[in-house]
Amino acid sequence: MAMSFEWPWQYRFPPFFTLQPNVDTRQKQLAAWCSLVLSFCRLHKQSSMTVMEAQESPLFNNVKLQRKLPVESIQIVLEELRKKGNLEWLDKSKSSFLIMWRRPEEWGKLIYQWVSRSGQNNSVFTLYELTNGEDTEDEGIESILQDFQGHL
Amino acid sequence: MLGVGDFYYELGVQIIEVCLALKHRNGGLITLEELHQQVLKGRGKFAQDVSQDDLIRAIKKLKALGTGFGIIPVGGTYLIQSVPAELNMDHTVVLQLAEKNGYVTVSEIKTSLKWETERARQVLEHLLKEGLAWLDLQAPGEAHYWLPALFTDLYSQEITAEEAREALP
Repeated sequence: MAMSFEWPWQYRFPPFFTLQPNVDTRQKQLAAWCSLVLSFCRLHKQSSMTVMEAQESPLFNNVKLQRKLPVESIQIVLEELRKKGNLEWLDKSKSSFLIMWRRPEEWGKLIYQWVSRSGQNNSVFTLYELTNGEDTEDEGIESILQDFQGHL
Repeated sequence: MLGVGDFYYELGVQIIEVCLALKHRNGGLITLEELHQQVLKGRGKFAQDVSQDDLIRAIKKLKALGTGFGIIPVGGTYLIQSVPAELNMDHTVVLQLAEKNGYVTVSEIKTSLKWETERARQVLEHLLKEGLAWLDLQAPGEAHYWLPALFTDLYSQEITAEEAREALP
């Protein structure tokens, strides 16, 4: 299932890369950033990142527009995502993070549905089988589960 | 006056829907051009054709009903205000200045309008406060104040499902 990805209009709007002083406008801006981070990571099947990578990634750095979101603002976006349950810090110093473009509950539901569909309820199977089985849908289950594995 | 089934009444309803749906992006300010494009899109191929003059007429009727609509002449076209933000002459004239590039700066205002810095700053602060302008601190030279309503990249961008939901009563 190919995901079509288009940069939202905000990505080409220069002020999008400046944290807005007006509270209402900032709320809209942060919501748009959160949404963009999740769809970007989903497209690139990227479930973890370091803050350094993020800074240089086209996600936060629009080279053509000559605008990049400053690191303090990136931190604010990441904190928003954490509050929503879409992000977890992987270390105490907050230098790298896990992005869950589907929250754990949503994954749980998806996996349960997949298991039900393939008639394998009440059977035990390994993570290998889950991620490499023929029935695995191209939902990025592999990468997320791999990351969770590494996280454990 | 207006009667249900009246062409301008129906057009007025459409205009309100488009403005509501896009308010989230542009703070309630939209160019006549963009409004026209969006209205035509929503009408489908069997609907009567609508001109920009028709839109202006419909909006004037909406104004007469006290809906808070405003029509601001800028650079040969019009900005349509759908949210009753308090805009006085100073604000309006700065909007007109911004129409050329989609943004405006304190220097530009001082040069073109011969205002003091403080007067220029106050107007820009007000536009930020009303959600009509966004601040850009990475522009060359000085801070740029951009108006989403004038961001032409936005023209004919699809109204998202989220925005359409906002338009429902």
